[in-house]
Amino acid sequence: MKVPYSWIREFVDIDKSAEEVVDRLNETGLEAIVETFGEYIPELTTVRVLSVKKHPERDKLYICEATDGRKKYQIITGADNVVENSIVLMAKVGAKINGIIIKERNFGSYKSEGMFLSLEELGLADTSEGIWLLPEDTPIGVDGSELLGLGNEKIIEIDITPNRGDALSVKGLAREIGAIFNIKRKDYKANVLILDELIPNISVDTEKCYRYRGVIIRDIEIKPSNLDIQLKLLKSGQKPINNIVDITNYILLQEGQPLHAFDLDKIKGKVIVRNAKDGEKILALDGNEYNLKGTDIVIADENGVIAIAGIIGGENTKVDENTKNILLEAANFDYISVRKTSKRLGISTESSYRFERGVDIESLAEAQDKAIEMILKFGGSNSKAVGQKDIYPNPYTPKKIRLREKTVERVIGVNISKEECAEILNRLEIPTSVIDDGTISKIPAFRSLDITREIDLVEEVGRLKGFNDIPEDYPRISIEIDKNISYYQFERRSRDYFIDNGVNEIITYSFVGEDIYKDLGLPLPEIEITNYLTKDFRFMRDNLTVSLIQVIKENLRHQVKDISVFEISSVFFKDYEEIRLGIALTGKTVKGFSFTNENVSYNTTKSWDFLKVKGLILNYLKLFNIKDINLNYSKKAYLNPYESADIYVNGKEIGYFGKIHPKIAEKVEIPKDTYLAELKLKYVPRELRETVLKDGYIYSIYTNAYTPIFKDLPKYPSVKRDLAFEVDEDVSVKEIFEGLRKESNLIENIRLFDIFYLNNNKKSVAVSVEFRDKNKSLSDEDVNLEVENILQKLRDKIKGLKLRG
Amino acid sequence: MGLKEDLIKLKEEAKKLIGSVKDKKSLDEIRVKYLGKKGEIKKVLKSLSKLSPDERREIGKIANDIKDEIEKLLKDKLAILKEKELEEELKKSKVDIHLPADWVELGHQHILTKTLQEIVDIFIAMGFSVEEGPEVEREEYNFDMLNIPKDHPARDMQDTFFINKEGYVLRTHTSPVQIRTMLKNKPPVAIVAPGRVYRKDMDPTHTPMFHQIEGLLVDENITYRDLKGTLQKFLQEVFGKNIKIRLRPSYFPFTEPSFEVDISCTICSGLGCRVCKGTGWLEVLGSGMVDPNVFEAVGIDPEKYTGFAFGLGIERIAMLKYRVPDIRLFYYGDLRFIKQF
Repeated sequence: MKVPYSWIREFVDIDKSAEEVVDRLNETGLEAIVETFGEYIPELTTVRVLSVKKHPERDKLYICEATDGRKKYQIITGADNVVENSIVLMAKVGAKINGIIIKERNFGSYKSEGMFLSLEELGLADTSEGIWLLPEDTPIGVDGSELLGLGNEKIIEIDITPNRGDALSVKGLAREIGAIFNIKRKDYKANVLILDELIPNISVDTEKCYRYRGVIIRDIEIKPSNLDIQLKLLKSGQKPINNIVDITNYILLQEGQPLHAFDLDKIKGKVIVRNAKDGEKILALDGNEYNLKGTDIVIADENGVIAIAGIIGGENTKVDENTKNILLEAANFDYISVRKTSKRLGISTESSYRFERGVDIESLAEAQDKAIEMILKFGGSNSKAVGQKDIYPNPYTPKKIRLREKTVERVIGVNISKEECAEILNRLEIPTSVIDDGTISKIPAFRSLDITREIDLVEEVGRLKGFNDIPEDYPRISIEIDKNISYYQFERRSRDYFIDNGVNEIITYSFVGEDIYKDLGLPLPEIEITNYLTKDFRFMRDNLTVSLIQVIKENLRHQVKDISVFEISSVFFKDYEEIRLGIALTGKTVKGFSFTNENVSYNTTKSWDFLKVKGLILNYLKLFNIKDINLNYSKKAYLNPYESADIYVNGKEIGYFGKIHPKIAEKVEIPKDTYLAELKLKYVPRELRETVLKDGYIYSIYTNAYTPIFKDLPKYPSVKRDLAFEVDEDVSVKEIFEGLRKESNLIENIRLFDIFYLNNNKKSVAVSVEFRDKNKSLSDEDVNLEVENILQKLRDKIKGLKLRG
Repeated sequence: MGLKEDLIKLKEEAKKLIGSVKDKKSLDEIRVKYLGKKGEIKKVLKSLSKLSPDERREIGKIANDIKDEIEKLLKDKLAILKEKELEEELKKSKVDIHLPADWVELGHQHILTKTLQEIVDIFIAMGFSVEEGPEVEREEYNFDMLNIPKDHPARDMQDTFFINKEGYVLRTHTSPVQIRTMLKNKPPVAIVAPGRVYRKDMDPTHTPMFHQIEGLLVDENITYRDLKGTLQKFLQEVFGKNIKIRLRPSYFPFTEPSFEVDISCTICSGLGCRVCKGTGWLEVLGSGMVDPNVFEAVGIDPEKYTGFAFGLGIERIAMLKYRVPDIRLFYYGDLRFIKQF
């Protein structure tokens, strides 16, 4: 909400600058800014239009004569709404409008000595039709900028938190500013006479309307509002419409009470405030038709809905230029209901905005009376209020809340005496008196939604006392608190590992669209967002690979071809979510530097291949002491079946790594030598919360590392033997390694050093085997015997195995 | 001329030759020429038989001395030549030390996790623990138990993503981790909880997914002053000792009183600029004293315990600190961006 500071000052005598006021508002809890109203425009003046005639040479242009009381001007305008005798704002030669300096200008053979201005051209409205016709009470020949307050008037704009509906008015701000600066707020009472000639026929049929007061005003005259009203509305960001509508808006801004005027003569029979019927429709004042539901509250007559309660009026009972008699509504509706309806229908109005945040039910009549007083004054000399009905079945009873001095100290940390607490609360117009251990307050209606407990009063005391002036202290954090940082350390270690190995960390959205799943031939994710933003953000991903593929594409788009990236993030399923690590690698492994002053790379970099990726992944698993790892050829449809592996730990699949399937690569338009990997990080011991010894390893939550306990250093030397095996081509080296290990307990290490293919579907596998006996030095004889022994056993187990010469 | 003179001449000759020799091969030839089996010295020694025993002794001694002398000269020269040869060899394999390194280029940590890690580490150093919670969260934890009842306008403060799982939403903040922790652990509780959160929003300063870190300290005798001190210390660790902080009373349903916390603008040092919209202040986090309703929801006695909580957006901090102009840059995976940090 924004309102001119001068309007606020009508209600509180304050001599501080708007800037000072705004600073203090911010410090005490109302987010506020101050801005200057428009920009001072020199050579701007008010003139009366003396004559209007059509331009003889130019269609759509008018030649007008106007006077500022001293001099006559000839102005050419395109505005259709220009009429004789109207008062308009004129930019004289030399005025600057939207960056353009006004000069004398010829339109055909006629000279224009200036320009009549619209609200839009003055910067006071986003759009406007025609020039601005000023009200009759506008003086002519005065400095237009000064008259409007351009470049001078301070506008205060506040952005309230949802609990501070009480501040959404000039009155509310005056109350707040008065409390802050300890100045008593000013107010006035309307002096109106409401007759008993015609009592409106109103009934309230819903519990969601807490108060409804209708007043009939007859014989009004619809016309533009006077200058003061129009200017205040303009400065508050609202467009003047006509006197009746303007007055309801004016009072809404000034008092915070939404009002609505119905054209009485368009209402058929009785006015009923009731729940809407499912399927009922209304054409609203915004030009849209809305479908209503049983949970909405409406104002209806015999023919149907005439307004959506607290939100917007209906076109069918709109006040227009022919309106003579009105029913002026001031009401108070259930804030939850208004909020639900306004949200569902997607309408937010000044009225609904206030009802949702709470409107002062006790000031309803007082505010409405002020509106009536204005209508009687500005709505034509014959206008009169002829009858009223106020339905208010359960008048407000203030809640009493006790505030203990010790609670203030417990929460804020300093002692504030109960006398001072009471003084502060009374300044906020919360009637408060001192009792034995603190204070007792009667919460007024305007704060009844916000202040319901003792703690809410603590906040009021604290913010007015000035939280920033209360000195800081430091908590003594108990060292007995259990530290749960192992997962955090695990993630950090994981990140560091990949970064140190040249892989870059990325973060991508958890959202995914349907297309990539179709491309990869994967079933759609289980978690779907029902109110998704765009189709690419429709699902919560159930794997990271889909996102990584998109990152490769994004980088290729920028001619970045060497891409090595990883992400650690959750993926989602109907019943659970789990953290995964995803990796995508394509192009070269980049070597060199990328320091700021030495950005060069090595020119003989190598492409990623299966074994490099395998090394990257298995070394990572080794960091966390993951054992019993098994690889099987992967059957995932998006992977190349001959160059990819699923990873099993203790018999459970934990992920995969390998090359993308060339068909998929082609479909998603990424290189065929793209390697992908994805691991579930569930196996990480994140539940461990203490240092433990397990299987010969000490686990630490601080480093998330398993460190083995000491083992004796070997006492006797080892002996190395190179062995070349001939085996059938389809025998995996794994069989040989495992066979060797199984058949001998003297083998300490096996190192593969050569594989080559022979004729007859055979291959040669050469390994270097290191033998060691814990208890003695091995002789050549011992080793020969052991080798012989191993071969004997392996021959039957491995297809076609022989030792090559 | 006698033998003695011959020998001395030989010595002088050898000395000269050794001095001028340039390579090991020629040096060896000199060695053969003078000290070889058929060498000059041997020749002299052979002719000794013609001499008297006295002369033989005298000349023999001189010959031996000269032999030793030449041998020494040869050895020294050899050492010099070897040294030279090595030098030549090393010189041949001289590397341009300015060549690019033949070692894998370091990967880059994402600037968000770098920022997050720094923040978490500060709190770990203060004694806090790190907790986690799910991103698909129970509505009850995300809202109700945090004192955000259904139909309260506060639910509008965060535009929620709803999903096809009854009673669950994408968490709109990390605050539900407060609830999960307090349901599990009795006070004292001191945690931070980093993670992804989701809100239906998209423009240069908002994305539908971003990262938050939640903090919670619950114990006896925790007051607003502790909140102020902790946040001041934390923000000075992140942004530098010179920044000032300001707490503005605000509203969050799960804290009372609540505060928006501003730091003096890091760009203009509080003078007013475009980034701080001329105010000299930058809003960096939300905080407050834990609302008694939240304590009651998790079964902690609000008459015995007090606590403070805070939440901040990692993206916001990273954008301010590293001057990243558009939040969306964090999520494209564009290596031109990632490798800047």
